[in-house]
Amino acid sequence: MSENDTKKPTGDAQPPPPGAPTNSPAAKIGPEPSNPPAGAKADNPPVAHSSTTPPKPPAPAGGPPKPPPPKNPGFVTCTIDGREAVVKPGTNMIAAADSVGVEIPYYCYHPRLSIAANCRICLIEASNAPKLVPACQTPLAEGQVIKTTTPKVKEQQRAVMEFLLLNHPVDCAICDQAGECKLQDYYMKYDYRPSRLEGGKVLKHKRKVLGPQVVLDQERCILCTRCVRFMNEVPQEPQLGVFGRGSHERIDVFPGSELSSNYSLNTVDICPVGALLNRDFRFRARAWFLSATPSVCTGCSRGCNIYTDWMSQDTYRYRPRENEEINKSWMCDQGRLSYKYLNLNRVLSASVGRRATQPPNVVRPEITRAEAAKAAASQLQPLAGTTQLAVLASPLLSNEDLLAGLSFAKGTLGVKEVYVGGRPQGAADHYLMTEDKNPNRKGLELIAKGLGLTLKAFEELTPALKSGKVKALVALGTEVPGDAEAFAQAAASTEVFVALAINESPLSAQATVLLPASAHVEDDGSFVQKDGIVQRFRKAYPSKGDTAPTWRWVAEISKVMGGAAAWSSAREVFRELAAQVPELASFHWEQATPPDRERPGINPLPTGADGRPPGYREFGTPRVRGI
Amino acid sequence: MSDPSKQPEALNPDTDAYAHESELETHLQTKRMYINMGPSHPAMHGTVRMKVELDGETIVKADPEIGFLHRGFQKSCENVTWTQCLPYTDRLNYNSAMMNNFGFLNAVEKLIGLEIPERAQYIRVIASELHRMHDHLTCVGATALELGGFAPFLYAIEGRELLMDRVTELTGARLTTSYGRVGGLNRDLPEGWIPKTIKSLDKIQDLMVEVKGLLMANRIFVDRMKGTGLLSAEDAIDFGFTGPCLRAAGVDYDVRKAKPYWVYGQLDFDVPVGEHGDNYDRYIMRLEELEQSDRIIRQALQKLPGGPIIVDDWRIALPPKPEVYGTIEGVMSHFKLVMEGIPVPPGEVYDSTEAANGELGWYLVSDGRGRPYKVHVRAPGFPILSAIPQIIEGKMLADLIPTFDMINMIGGEVEQ
Repeated sequence: MSENDTKKPTGDAQPPPPGAPTNSPAAKIGPEPSNPPAGAKADNPPVAHSSTTPPKPPAPAGGPPKPPPPKNPGFVTCTIDGREAVVKPGTNMIAAADSVGVEIPYYCYHPRLSIAANCRICLIEASNAPKLVPACQTPLAEGQVIKTTTPKVKEQQRAVMEFLLLNHPVDCAICDQAGECKLQDYYMKYDYRPSRLEGGKVLKHKRKVLGPQVVLDQERCILCTRCVRFMNEVPQEPQLGVFGRGSHERIDVFPGSELSSNYSLNTVDICPVGALLNRDFRFRARAWFLSATPSVCTGCSRGCNIYTDWMSQDTYRYRPRENEEINKSWMCDQGRLSYKYLNLNRVLSASVGRRATQPPNVVRPEITRAEAAKAAASQLQPLAGTTQLAVLASPLLSNEDLLAGLSFAKGTLGVKEVYVGGRPQGAADHYLMTEDKNPNRKGLELIAKGLGLTLKAFEELTPALKSGKVKALVALGTEVPGDAEAFAQAAASTEVFVALAINESPLSAQATVLLPASAHVEDDGSFVQKDGIVQRFRKAYPSKGDTAPTWRWVAEISKVMGGAAAWSSAREVFRELAAQVPELASFHWEQATPPDRERPGINPLPTGADGRPPGYREFGTPRVRGI
Repeated sequence: MSDPSKQPEALNPDTDAYAHESELETHLQTKRMYINMGPSHPAMHGTVRMKVELDGETIVKADPEIGFLHRGFQKSCENVTWTQCLPYTDRLNYNSAMMNNFGFLNAVEKLIGLEIPERAQYIRVIASELHRMHDHLTCVGATALELGGFAPFLYAIEGRELLMDRVTELTGARLTTSYGRVGGLNRDLPEGWIPKTIKSLDKIQDLMVEVKGLLMANRIFVDRMKGTGLLSAEDAIDFGFTGPCLRAAGVDYDVRKAKPYWVYGQLDFDVPVGEHGDNYDRYIMRLEELEQSDRIIRQALQKLPGGPIIVDDWRIALPPKPEVYGTIEGVMSHFKLVMEGIPVPPGEVYDSTEAANGELGWYLVSDGRGRPYKVHVRAPGFPILSAIPQIIEGKMLADLIPTFDMINMIGGEVEQ
């Protein structure tokens, strides 16, 4: 890779983590080349040199023609497959072609990484070059004519595909990438010919564990070096390298180290083939059976935009969704693996009576949602308006849940202060991950302020419970920042403890009325991330078991207690209540909804083998995932 | 009316009633009768319901009601790959499934701009004509049965069974053949199939001699067929008739001759044309076409060239299995073709072939995504069925049976 090629990093540069090796290549500060081309000298005679020779005559006619004046000043105008493209100077051909609807294939190119131009499938014909030029690396020139479908280009694409597949193992049937693999896509588009290989393929390491999250199949790798460039440039933790030569060239970690970065799973996303694999997702689902829903990561307060990939009523993985302001095309590993609470250890049915005090195997009577709401309301009714009642709200809940929950707390329960629960603080890292592991703390603060409620620290709640000052507790979310066991002990002394819980915990076992709450992927809603950006997420699948969104529980309890809450959707909750919060009032809920399909109408699956309701592949084949 | 109290004598019915001339003859008091033929009636092929209004034995009004076999075929096709549409086409005219298969495939191939190998074209012609014979034998036999002749039905069905056996050997199925693939065929002729087919054709010729002997000189059969179900050539064209029913009215139109596809241009055969447009001519058309199909099959088997049966293009045809199991190129092509379908280029096409009952037309739209964006089929039976009220109103109820038989409406394709 020459120095000219390493332009780019567009705002991705992060300060390197302490102790990380620096990434500034020596060539940058190295000496000037000792033998510059002769023309360079002739054109730039040293000014300081006092010479008696007369000034050079103007260059004789017949030199290279001057570039034509720009057709659109400030822009470069060129012709791509007969269509005129007007782009900013410096735009590469792939981006320019894309802007006029011409597709140029590529493997190694990534708009957020430096240019390597090593996969050679993007070579195209340009009017000012005798040979084919790499479209990813070549900026457009004024008046240039580019052709991407000539026989020369097609033969080059076919030859590249044949070359790439020469040593590729016959793995589609067992490969996680099958269905979203660029090799498959481009093979069908640009090659579609039988193998001419005689003899065996080069064997390499088939399952090299690179780190805690990523495993590498070196045989599948096409050495585009996207992963190496990503690790060098985005998290700036150069943990991957290219080793060996020729057919034995391979991606690997440096000896004695491992791919331990918190951003390692992005390499799996940007891997155009099935070489780098997510150890968590590996062999768990076939890509074409998953549906994707645009959502927001709940792992920390950054609010990275994601796709939730789901099947039936389970989430299988998160994938980053592009957002220029927040996460670009990336997300951290910790956030990516934070989906697990959506599937496991869920509270799926309502129950009345403290489970912690019951024998472990006792069969509890099943109760309906209406009965559970009635039980909660009858327990809370006598305490409403008294100071013995406290409300604990979790910043894990969506704005809609909090708007409904806190309005209920203020209006029906008559409290003036709300204790803030939520997941404990954790470590931040040098790029995206923040200390606050709750996605909506900002939202909770804004809503409490808008409703005129005081937020109180969680630490004040335990003493209040122990001293008996608080005898009844309503928990909107049972995540607690402190010692969960200790708090559960304290909560055991309450007379009434109504808990809305997503997951089972020591605390949920102490609830006198336990109500199962939906997770964020099971309902529509919005979060406010730490910089105050409000973000909409979509419902992926119906709520599991008996769970219902928090706002719905609140509405039902409130109705029994004589309130007038009659919302039928999160949208209605927002429409009715957000006006009280200035920061949310200006948020256009419908317009901010991310599209849930590639184009209008249904995009049906080729197969519906898993028996779920009519599915659709909302975003087509996620073949350009990570971009 | 005048006040009755003023002129009581003037209204004495016994003396003053005036008898009209028309009242002198006493009629049998009858009401019009409405009867349902079908949906479950032996003479109503498939499950079609005919609401018939009768005045005595004369049909005043006939209203065919379809939809009992509606399956949402066209919409279903939008949810599956091009190749997966093929089993749906079997169920259109289930008497000649392969003609539907090939008609659909031909339209898709036209949309792609694909020329299929010559051997595949010959086999498609052979298989189509086999199924044309199959369809006509069924039609002729069933008509005889419904007009009271059981023996000719048995002869016709015996011949049909011979064809059914050949089709089974060729495709693996008696009824739902799903034979052929985009770009050619999925399997070649089985070993020893050609001599067996020729012998079957010989046998069918003998059987048809019997059938004709039993029917053509049969007074009851001929009387019920001749002059019934009349429709003029102009009306037939206006209604959109095609196939034997149109030719029976004297219009010489056959897609195989008008716009030869596959290798029909290289084969020597005649298109029979009638003159009266009645049921008897329709019946004669089918007998003649049986003989012409026989001619075509024998010629085609004679000329059948060697070579591949499907195009060698891995964007369209599945790679051979050793390539799928042994090479990455093969497995990728197989995976993409099965999971995402053949990448038919965006565009639209209308294409038609001559099926047993007329022009089977396909209007296809592709958006380039491996599945049809829109499939519409022009079933030959639909316009023909729509002419039933025109043909039969004012005629006798007994004429309805031979007319309905000779129109040979097939529920599967009409109701889709």
